[in-house]
Amino acid sequence: MLDHLTLMILDALLIAVFFTFLWKKERRERWLYFFKVFGALVLGAIALAWLMFPFPRA
Amino acid sequence: MVEVSGSSRPGGSRLPLAALLVIGWLVPGLGHFLLGRRVRAAVFAAVILTAFGVGLALDGELLLPKGGDPLSYLAAIASVGNGVLFVAARLVDFGEGVVTAPGYEFGNTFLLTAGMMNLLLLLDIHDIVTGRKDW
Repeated sequence: MLDHLTLMILDALLIAVFFTFLWKKERRERWLYFFKVFGALVLGAIALAWLMFPFPRA
Repeated sequence: MVEVSGSSRPGGSRLPLAALLVIGWLVPGLGHFLLGRRVRAAVFAAVILTAFGVGLALDGELLLPKGGDPLSYLAAIASVGNGVLFVAARLVDFGEGVVTAPGYEFGNTFLLTAGMMNLLLLLDIHDIVTGRKDW
């Protein structure tokens, strides 16, 4: 069973690849866009998790 | 019905837009393949198939509309967006979801993501056929 962080990174990877090929044409701009989207998804999710940390579950 | 000749779609199909949209919905990536965008078609197919396969492997559910749950209708649109993958999985009783499985929520996320991505491809097919996008 993959852990949640790995699954989140895999999901972010698939989404980033998808939007890169959907919206960008040139090789260089594709790499830049891929890293931007991938980074935003992974770091954004981790940041959101930290922000939610103080809140109780119940 | 919009029908564009092959001459204005280099390397593309002569199929009408409606047919391309249906084909693109049924088989992820096939619409782009028929339009001559073969690399992109392969990437899109690989991404969607991977997301769908991971979603099923994690015991995710191919959600259907449930009475009294408006959000389930949106989820159902995303599920059905998987096209023939949705139908095939349902026929062999995959994608029924195991709520108690550790990967259930993540599985749902992957399955819904795959369907939404495939639906977004239909907009891209539309843009290519109508000339709004030339690559």
